[in-house]
Amino acid sequence: MNASTASHPPRIAVVGLGNVLLGDDGFGPLAVEMFRRLYECDSNVEILDLGTPGLDLAPYLYDTDLVVIADAIYPPEDEKPGTLCVYCENDLAFSEAGSSHAQPRLTSHDPGVQESLAQLRLAGHAPSEVIVVGVVPESCGLGKGISLSVLNTCLVAVDTIARLLVARSIDCRKRHDPVPRTLWWQSGSA
Amino acid sequence: MARISIDPVTRIEGHLRIDVEVDGGKVQKAWASCTMWRGLETILRGRDAREGWVFAQRFCGVCTTVHAIASVRAVEDALQLEIPANAQYIRNLILIAHALHDHIVHFYHLSVLDWVDITTIPKADPTRAASIAEGFSNWPGNSRRELEAVQNKVKGLIGSGQLGIFSHGYWGHPAMRLSPELNLILFAHYLQALEFQRKSCQIVGVLGGKTPHIQNLAVGGVMNAINLNSLATFNMDRLGMLQSLLQELIPFVQQAYFVDACLLSASYPEWFRYGRGVANYLAVPDLPTDAKATQFDLPGGLIMKGDLASVRPIQNWRDQAFRSAVAEDVTHAWYKGEGAQTPWKGETDPDYTDFQADKKYTWVKAPRYNGQPIQVGPLANVLVGYASGHALTRKWTDTAFKTVSSVRASGATSFNLTPEDLQSTMGRYLARAIRSAMLSDLALQHWQLLADNILKGDDTTFNPPQFPAHECEGVGMHEAPRGALSHWVIIDKGSFTNYQAVVPTTWNASPRDEKGVAGPYETSLIANPVVDPAKPLEVLRTVHSFDPCMACACHTLDISGREIARVKVL
Repeated sequence: MNASTASHPPRIAVVGLGNVLLGDDGFGPLAVEMFRRLYECDSNVEILDLGTPGLDLAPYLYDTDLVVIADAIYPPEDEKPGTLCVYCENDLAFSEAGSSHAQPRLTSHDPGVQESLAQLRLAGHAPSEVIVVGVVPESCGLGKGISLSVLNTCLVAVDTIARLLVARSIDCRKRHDPVPRTLWWQSGSA
Repeated sequence: MARISIDPVTRIEGHLRIDVEVDGGKVQKAWASCTMWRGLETILRGRDAREGWVFAQRFCGVCTTVHAIASVRAVEDALQLEIPANAQYIRNLILIAHALHDHIVHFYHLSVLDWVDITTIPKADPTRAASIAEGFSNWPGNSRRELEAVQNKVKGLIGSGQLGIFSHGYWGHPAMRLSPELNLILFAHYLQALEFQRKSCQIVGVLGGKTPHIQNLAVGGVMNAINLNSLATFNMDRLGMLQSLLQELIPFVQQAYFVDACLLSASYPEWFRYGRGVANYLAVPDLPTDAKATQFDLPGGLIMKGDLASVRPIQNWRDQAFRSAVAEDVTHAWYKGEGAQTPWKGETDPDYTDFQADKKYTWVKAPRYNGQPIQVGPLANVLVGYASGHALTRKWTDTAFKTVSSVRASGATSFNLTPEDLQSTMGRYLARAIRSAMLSDLALQHWQLLADNILKGDDTTFNPPQFPAHECEGVGMHEAPRGALSHWVIIDKGSFTNYQAVVPTTWNASPRDEKGVAGPYETSLIANPVVDPAKPLEVLRTVHSFDPCMACACHTLDISGREIARVKVL
């Protein structure tokens, strides 16, 4: 099902992948929480921090029209920590033996992303479009919090997500009064 | 003699390395090594005990819910805090939905391709496949039309020459023996399972407020507001929605998954002879039916040396024998310290040495129960239930045995399974399906308990916790999808001073202990057949039968990148 044939509004998912307890690996959850805080969307846009679901990612992508994945990413070329990289699904295509095409790697979750997408494609329930908004991490150590370079990129990433949605005629408005932050993992002792 | 190293084992959650020595086509020795460091618990020290569950459910991205539940139960145990009956039922329904999700994913997406050769599907006769499937089940997804559509998809995939995620299977391996028709049936359900994964997530979402990472828990109960007269709260609409989702999910579990596990069992009977391993089993009681948690719908207990008559019940979560029996040994794990420690005193001080088969070789500690290695998981759950005379366990186990016999009778020689046969590689698959069928019945029962209690006028969901000025200790138990989970906490003035999680995969992936006694994975691989050391499919079958989830057995992810499993024959 896709936006052009379905009678209902398109189903959009903005999802963050990563472990919030592992430094910059928590970029995805941070980015979607910031997006929720700064932007307002209609109810057909689901904004979800999915953590590190592995193959359990599939149910959240099932029958969606557009999925925007925020995740820490290792690009094929050496890039500085904090660099923002945006990819479409073809850039992430699972490498066949003999393929010379260099592909970016998401942090530890990419087997889950690739497999979930492939399963959904075969079952006929894959998203029509997948976009990855990635950032190059500085450090993914236990309990270290987000590094300054990734934090600085986060706001750019959030605006990028909004622009991607608007460019596809999806209603997404900047809030006049940002909602309170819910970054519980960034506070307290550790 | 060939030495095979599989690193990492794929189609599991997390990183696991398995080393085996093979001689005469059989495994002689085995080592299980987790290649990630453990230590997420250190993050909990010093935290407010009321919010520990929020962090604990980030231990692992797959088993989020189970750590949240074990964490609140541990704190409630330390405070001896009773929770309202509604809170028990709401938690139970979340746990059941999560477990069904987990078991479906394990069977279809993480392990069925060890037994199903998708490359033979183009040769299947869809009419014949439909008549086979319809002979054993009323599942509507078994129609000829449905199966033919799946066959065409697979033909397209194979014709494209781009097998993608399926390109790493051991296709054409001599140990793959299903007919093209059975391969088609099971793979059709593999694809259909995606829809039911989604339904089980929706159930968790309706109750937990969000999935993954539920938001509705609290030390003392749940935060679901119940008011039958308010649209904004948990009301009859929500109860009705929950019931319909369960009624959509359950037929897939009982008519597709359960029957498929029986078909697989009947087709690979020799796999009831391999993979027994450690025959000491532990299951903890779960699904309490009253506020005080005195009665449980899943019985707990201990079975030693495979003797079902020896079952010792664990009546409730305050069981003193359990508390004094559990200890973790680090002799062969990359931690400092010697001998075994109760988890309350456990430390996670790393001491990495490289893989040394005779010394230290893994990040997993060796948990022991009165000094003995223990196997946990759906098999332990089913054996303990069966041995204790638990009616629902007996009903579904006997149904499974009858179904396997009837499949077999339509084929070759007769085949009658006993509970003894379940102590094997295939037994673990069948036990997981038996447990799923049971949990489906229990989901409806606990839905009814919740509805009746609310209609009776009880809308309480939370008892506020009071923290004493003195230090207190607690254990939170949960019979999780992969087996007995326990969180061990020490709390002082409302904050954790120690926190240790003894997770199911730690019991099963345990290394040798100070006496040199091996753990369940390692022992189960002894005498496992290996036809071709370069393609150790049979080793994967036994390892996958445990449903390894290394992410919480051992913490911190290796971010070095995507790895396709390496199989090294040394």
